[in-house]
Amino acid sequence: MAKLDVKPTRMELLNLKKRLKSAKRGHKLLKDKQDGLMKQFMEIIREAKASRREVEEKLGSAFKNFMFASSMMLPEMLESALLYPSAKVELEVRTKNVMSVYIPYFDIKQEGDILNYGYLQTSGELDISLAAFQDVFPLLIKLAEIEKQAERLAAELETTRRRVNALEYKLIPDLEETLKFITMKLAETERSTIVGVMRIKAMIEEQEAASRQ
Amino acid sequence: MKHQIAIVGPKDTILGFKALGLKTYNALDTEEAVKVLFELKKEVVTDEKSGETKPLYAIIFVIEDLMTGIEDADYKKLSQNALPAIVPVPGTKGTTGYSLKRIGKMVEQAVGSDIFGDK
Repeated sequence: MAKLDVKPTRMELLNLKKRLKSAKRGHKLLKDKQDGLMKQFMEIIREAKASRREVEEKLGSAFKNFMFASSMMLPEMLESALLYPSAKVELEVRTKNVMSVYIPYFDIKQEGDILNYGYLQTSGELDISLAAFQDVFPLLIKLAEIEKQAERLAAELETTRRRVNALEYKLIPDLEETLKFITMKLAETERSTIVGVMRIKAMIEEQEAASRQ
Repeated sequence: MKHQIAIVGPKDTILGFKALGLKTYNALDTEEAVKVLFELKKEVVTDEKSGETKPLYAIIFVIEDLMTGIEDADYKKLSQNALPAIVPVPGTKGTTGYSLKRIGKMVEQAVGSDIFGDK
């Protein structure tokens, strides 16, 4: 640990004491924040893992259906069938403040029918596969929400952790060492002044004794 | 405030999502996908009441195969804001394990090591 580059004066000592006090308080607050974030993060990350697995499973089978459907139809037909969807998706975003991190919540609003094409030139499989996509869709939104929350919290946790560590292992020990240095130095000057005064007093007394004789 | 949802991937894969009302953007490889993502991120919508501008797309799904080769610097730039949420989804080939690795990375970033790692 390196002590700070300051002059060993009483003024500096008082300043440093103030700084140490606020550093310790900041450290405690940040540590609490870190604990709070960590608690939230653990909950969210568990949820994220579970919902990620679920989505992967369901979306896999939905894609399989869609592959079957698209192989039954001419590519141009498929494209033209899906060219102008009447379904509309709108997303409301709310944010919630968790320990000074804004995390998003998504609400979807879906309008219109997903089956928006003539039945003559399309296969029945297409209907089924689109219905499967429709089923997975809310899960996907949920997943997006949870993963984004996890991402935000992870970024915030990283900075908080760094700050806590910087305070705990660098700033606070440095301040303490400097404080110690200044107190020692001040005490040293005090002792040397006393010794100096005593010597002068002794000299004066000697002179007085010599002049009396 | 109304946001929209986009999906980026190979045309034949994402076509099905078009029927659900998502905006689809064609991209065949990672490079193309990154370019599209940056463009989508730039698009904004203005709130009539407050006059604030916010990203038009709140969620952008990307087919997982395209995300595997993405550079860390690009990914960081893309994901640093609150919106949009960029979410990899498994494509027709099934899952590549990229997404679970991504979650592992988040844990590592937050905790210091991947405490849920399977190995």
